[in-house]
Amino acid sequence: MASRRRMLLKVIILGDSGVGKTSLMNQFVNHKFSNQYKATIGADFLTKEVQIDDRLFTLQIWDTAGQERFQSLGVAFYRGADCCVLVYDVNVTKSFDDLNRWREDFLLQASPHDPDNFPFVVLGNKIDVDGGNSRVVSSKKAKAWCASKGNIPYFETSAKDGTNVEAAFQCIAKNAIKNEPEEDTYLPDTIDMSGGQQQRSSGCDC
Amino acid sequence: SNSVSASGGTGVVWREVEGEAPTSPGSSGYAGERGSSNASSASGIEEIGERDGGLVNGIADSQPAWVPGKRHVNEDDASVSWRKRKKHFFILSNSGKPIYSRYGDEHKLAGFSATLQAIISFVENGGDRVKLVRAGKHQVVFLVKGPIYLVCISCTEEPYESLRGQLELLYGQMILILTKSVNRCFEKNSKFDMTPLLGGTDAVFSSLIHSFSCLWQLLGETDDSLANVYVLEASADTYLMLLTTRSDAFYHLKECRASIEAVFLKSNVLSEVQRSMLDGGMHIEDLPVDPTSRSGSASSHLGQHSPERFRDTYTGIGGPCGLWHFIYRSIYLDQYVSSEFSSPINTPQQQKRLFRAYQKIYASMHDKGFGPHKTQFRRDENYVLLCWVTQDFELYAAFDPLADKALAIKTCNRVCQWVKDVENEIFLLGASPFSW
Repeated sequence: MASRRRMLLKVIILGDSGVGKTSLMNQFVNHKFSNQYKATIGADFLTKEVQIDDRLFTLQIWDTAGQERFQSLGVAFYRGADCCVLVYDVNVTKSFDDLNRWREDFLLQASPHDPDNFPFVVLGNKIDVDGGNSRVVSSKKAKAWCASKGNIPYFETSAKDGTNVEAAFQCIAKNAIKNEPEEDTYLPDTIDMSGGQQQRSSGCDC
Repeated sequence: SNSVSASGGTGVVWREVEGEAPTSPGSSGYAGERGSSNASSASGIEEIGERDGGLVNGIADSQPAWVPGKRHVNEDDASVSWRKRKKHFFILSNSGKPIYSRYGDEHKLAGFSATLQAIISFVENGGDRVKLVRAGKHQVVFLVKGPIYLVCISCTEEPYESLRGQLELLYGQMILILTKSVNRCFEKNSKFDMTPLLGGTDAVFSSLIHSFSCLWQLLGETDDSLANVYVLEASADTYLMLLTTRSDAFYHLKECRASIEAVFLKSNVLSEVQRSMLDGGMHIEDLPVDPTSRSGSASSHLGQHSPERFRDTYTGIGGPCGLWHFIYRSIYLDQYVSSEFSSPINTPQQQKRLFRAYQKIYASMHDKGFGPHKTQFRRDENYVLLCWVTQDFELYAAFDPLADKALAIKTCNRVCQWVKDVENEIFLLGASPFSW
């Protein structure tokens, strides 16, 4: 049985430049949307509390820069992530094709213990654009890709009108917890004082 | 074990105990961690909610006693009050997850701690290390200890070395509670969330941070290897804590056990402590005019036993020749003594301000680039500060800002002579095995 304490979940949002990562985060956290595009420089960080099955969680959301020239954080950025959100624009084929690269890059850099079961969530964003007429990546195609990568949960969202944003983040949080390892009892360092001459530490004595 | 420094008396302190938080929040005699109403700080930054007005009239008694524990839990980085606090401390993991914050709720500050991690990691990625960032009046000091990052953001004008030393102590305190086993946890699981393990320890950390503005911390040199802490269970209700700079000290514990006992017996620590508390320490008003002539009756210089105290003969405030306060450190014994605070340094704010001034001049005396210096005479609108470092001792003395230079130097000579005359009483001479 999991403890009732508050938990913090680190969530990384990845995807090509301009697919709406920052907008999704803003819609989720602040319920706001702006049509103006401002490139994220390096990274942006927001937090939001969510409640799942009577438990409170704090989502620490790492909104990354999609532009290659700002991607200099690498390992440090991905370290200790609890969930990774892959975002593409349903109106831009390349952004969907790049999902594979984003996923591989994440697994390589973060090197989670169980890469096959690391929780990802895929979001197809901007479904509101042009009433859906400019859409080029079909729902079927996206779902097939998600299925082939270990049944990644898939949501079609609109950061502009808020469609599915709440549901997507609820799923993100749930997946992050599911992957949480069994809580080990914390064992502090101890030294057996009853034993004879202990082995010296390898440190230099000089 | 740190009750000597907690006595607020003579203030004899061993280096070995400096890593501990004082057991009593009142140990420093400070009523609270308030904004030092520094005359030079015109920025309007002050500790909201803990503001004081005691500087001018100095009614120290009207201030509420300092209570350890977490403050202002409802604040976060968006709060104006949070942003205006003079000194922040943060502990976070190398994945950017918050572990401890002096003010505000750790979870609400998760975005902020992620930003700190990003700054540290960005520089690390370039094969470099960030130590200090200056932003206007603020200094941001970073300390990386394996998977643990520590950050101090301060506009207290304390030197970088002091702030960094404080982060070292904070880390030492954390290791004292959790042991270095935390490193293994992070190796095993980079997602490791340490915050729950520190649950209920807010009072310990706040006490430690509070003590950072006490005199006893000033002369302690901290270094990277301080944090070797051994907690030994002596009996069901007694623990012996050993703070050492040597990582292999444990293997000598058995041999040392006898010598620890001998030290306690020989130096008679407890009765020394009791006596220094009774005596009430050194008072600048008692500074002998001609120390050598009175060296025969040394004990009469100490508080209670000096009915012939000449306080009334001084018409002004403070001691002779405008002497306000001094700290004397015996290098050979690695112990120090400081005078009792007296008028005009009698409010917590003034004491804190003097402490910061000492801190600055101490750093400049030991500056690796330009120092070390032997003597320094500095006059500003608040004090005349005179420092003197020899092979045997270090002396830091504060005078009235209008004090005469030649007289101040003469007075310092008298202070040194005085301390030497009563050395047997104020220092623990048999304590050298403490530094094995």
